[in-house]
Parts: sequence; structure tokens; C-alpha cells
Amino acid sequence: MPLPRPTATTPPALTLTGLYQHVAGRTALADLTLTLPAGEWLLICGPNGAGKSLLSRLILGLDRPSAGTIALFGQELERLDSGAMHRLRRRLGAVLQGGSLLADRSVLENLLLPLRETPLRRTELARAARLVVTLLRLDGLEHHDPRALSLGQRRRVELARALIHQPDLLVWDGVADGLDPSALAEILEMLDTVRRNRALTLIATDNTPAALATHCERALVLDHGRAVYAGPTATLREAATDRLELRAALRGWR
Amino acid sequence: MHYPDRPLTGPAGTLERLGLGALALADCLWLYLRILGGRARLDLPAFATALRQSGLSVLPALTLVSIALGLILGRQGELLLAGFALPDALLISLTYAIALEVIPVLIGILVAGRAGVALAVRQAGLAVSGELDGLLVNGIDPIRFTLAPTLLAMLLMSTAFAVWTLLVTGLTTGAWLWASVALSPARLVETLAHGIGPADLIGALIKPPLFALLVAPLACVNGIAAGRDPRGIARAATATMLGAIGLILVVDLLYLLLIG
Repeated sequence: MPLPRPTATTPPALTLTGLYQHVAGRTALADLTLTLPAGEWLLICGPNGAGKSLLSRLILGLDRPSAGTIALFGQELERLDSGAMHRLRRRLGAVLQGGSLLADRSVLENLLLPLRETPLRRTELARAARLVVTLLRLDGLEHHDPRALSLGQRRRVELARALIHQPDLLVWDGVADGLDPSALAEILEMLDTVRRNRALTLIATDNTPAALATHCERALVLDHGRAVYAGPTATLREAATDRLELRAALRGWR
Repeated sequence: MHYPDRPLTGPAGTLERLGLGALALADCLWLYLRILGGRARLDLPAFATALRQSGLSVLPALTLVSIALGLILGRQGELLLAGFALPDALLISLTYAIALEVIPVLIGILVAGRAGVALAVRQAGLAVSGELDGLLVNGIDPIRFTLAPTLLAMLLMSTAFAVWTLLVTGLTTGAWLWASVALSPARLVETLAHGIGPADLIGALIKPPLFALLVAPLACVNGIAAGRDPRGIARAATATMLGAIGLILVVDLLYLLLIG
């Protein structure tokens, strides 16, 4: 059944307040403040080393920020105990850069990981797996070893795993990694369809806005850990024509 | 379970390691209770792997060592029996040493060396490969795939190995003494029964799983503390092997001093 659309009282999917992250004595993220309403899509882009993956990890609670706060759906991550964090993570889906599939489990076992602790029956699990396998065009790969798959196939499996439990927020780090432009466009169309049925918030990172600009309402452009643009994607192109630092961070995107 | 994002060094790091080990063990025992209550499931593929690592792969080496130990004790017994006229006292002291000291420590070190190091490497490897992040973001505590199945396998196999090793060593020693000095099995059993009480045997059977209960969290924490650096995997393996041997000997000494 489709979930209700977010209302005015729905807490934002993501709130960053004065976020800093220091890595090995270097300021990797500095003074990031942002609010993303539930159901909207955020593109985080910037050149290599801008801090996109680091920010994704912080949002997912995999690392702790050096200063500032992160709140998901109104819940401040620093204040959550392990049980509350565990429950919150059930609302999240994640595709991480570098891969995170369990190497000693089949594709199907990897897909079913997020449903492991749910009381679903075997038939329901099979139905959920069948749905994401079809959506992500993974037919015939269910019993393969993830190590035997191509990078693009592994990314699709990760995306399928991130979607199988119908998360409220999907964090997809490195959208273009391993996927050719047509495959990526097809997946983004599929995610748009999912969003039309339920309030899926997406946070996606890429080096340039080329693939995602038409899908995301908001953009955060990072350069050396600092936000050089945070606002609607619709005005990003215009802003880039006026600001040299933004144009440099977007690497010639027009 | 908390996964630190900085190196655990210095006195504070040692304290944090102890705390992490205690938490990991508590989480694991809670999970076992939930499994017994039907509210959680044991990861069977990981359990099968752990059984293979702490069981089948150790069995040939342990059997060989048990036979060698039995032959050594038999030969020494033969020589001493030929030189002194105190067979009963000699056999009692020999058996006491085997049953209560040598064999449990031997099992502890062999099982820790195989399963403990494998656990530390697996836990550290999860972080390096990104699998740890995959489990965490999916709301799954990684100890379900690492510590929980391995500790259970180590507990089961340590206990089974204690029985097996005592039998093999005892039979080998008995066979040697029977063949060399015609000490009959009935006489040997009578002497053993005279010298070893049920409490002594229980002590010898309890120690290997006790060692496993301490070595497994140590290995898990070493794996966690390795961080995301691939070199950390080797460090975790070495620290686990050395730490396990030290821990086993200290606990054995404490057991001897406190329980006797």
C-alpha cells in the first residue's frame, strides 16, 4: 500500500547544523548546514576529495562528526542509543562507494540482509527479493557469488539490497560508479517511479550534476569540504555562470 | 555494539578494549538467549565455517599431539617405573599433570590459534572490505556473523576436544605401559581412579571452554580495533595469537591458585 506523502508536520529527512569533520589533522568538512525535507532529492556533488563520501558516512551514522549535529527524521544521531540507532537504520537504505556486499554470501542472501530481523514468512521474503531482482534487472544472478559479478552488477545488487525493505531515505554514494549512462538513467527513472508511490528521500553523490540535475530538487556542491552552493538545483546552472569557484567545483558542467 | 573510529592505544585504549570485549561477550550471550527463546536465528553458514575452523581443521593436529604426548608419558613412566618402586604415586602425578594442566592449555592454544585468529582476521577483514559498513547500515550487528557463531563453535569443540584428547592420551600412555612394563589396563584404571576425583576431571573439562569464552572476545576486539587499514588484519592476527597464549596461561594459573 502506498505510504502517505509527507505533510507540513513531517520532520525533515535530514538536518545538518554547523557540521565539521577533521581527518588526520585536516579539516575535511567545514561548517555545513542544510535542511532536506522528506520526499525531496538531494544531489551532493564536487570533485574528488571534496568530502562527498565522508558526508555520506556521517549521515549514515558510520562515523561521528568532529563538531555539529546531524538529524535524520528529527532524530539527532549523537543522542541515539544503539537500540534507537538500530531502529532508525531500518528506515535507511545505503549504497556505499567501494562496495559493501558480504563476499561469502550469495547475491540472494545479500539482498535479504535488511529483512533478516523481520518476522516475514519465506514466501514474503521471496516476493520482496523477486521484486527488487526484477526492478534492478538481476534475473539469473540470485545464486551467484558477488565476487564473480562485474562492478556494475555489484552496484545493482547493492541498490536492490538498499531498496528491498522500502526505506524512507536512500543514501547512494557514487551514483555513476560502474554504471553506464543508459543504465543509470534507467535506474533513476525507476527510483522516480518509486518516489511517486511513496515518500522516498534520496541523497546521491556524484562528481558532476550531469546525470542527476534533472531528478534532484536540491543540490549541495562541495569543494575541499566547504559548501560552495546549497540550494535548488534549478538555479545551480545560473549560479555557476556568475561564480568562478562554483564553476570550478562543477568541472565545466553547463 | 560500538565500533570505534580511532586507534585504541595507550591506557585509555586498553580500558576501552576491555569494555568492548565485555560488551561483545554480553551481546553474544544475550543473542544466545534470544536464539534459545526463538526470537533470533543463529547464522548457520557462519556457524558451519566456525565449526570447520575450530573443529575439523584442528582435529588431526590435536590427535597427533595427543598421541605424541601419550607416548612421551608412557616412555617416561616406563623409565621411572624401572628406576623406582613407586608406580602408583608416579602415575597419579603424571595423570594429574596431563589432565589438569597440559591438555586444557594445549587445547586452548590450538583452538585459539585457529579459530581465534580466524575470528580476528574475519572481523578486521569486514572493516577493510567495507562489509562491516554494509552490515551496520542494514541494521545488523556484525557479531552475528563473527563472534556469535565462532564462540559457540569454540565452546562446543573445546569441550569435545577435552574429552577426545584425554581419551587418546590416556589410551596411548596405557598401551605403552602395558606393552613395555606389562601394567594391565585394569591396574592402570584402578590407579587413575584412585588418584583422580570427579572434581579434577570436571576441572580439566571446564578449562578449555573457559579459555574459549575469554579468547573469542579478545579476538573480536582485536579485529574491531584493527580499523580500516589492511595492515591492521595482520596486526589483529598476531595480537590475538600472543594475547590468547598469555591469557590462557594467566587464567590457568589463577584457576590453580583460586580453585585448585
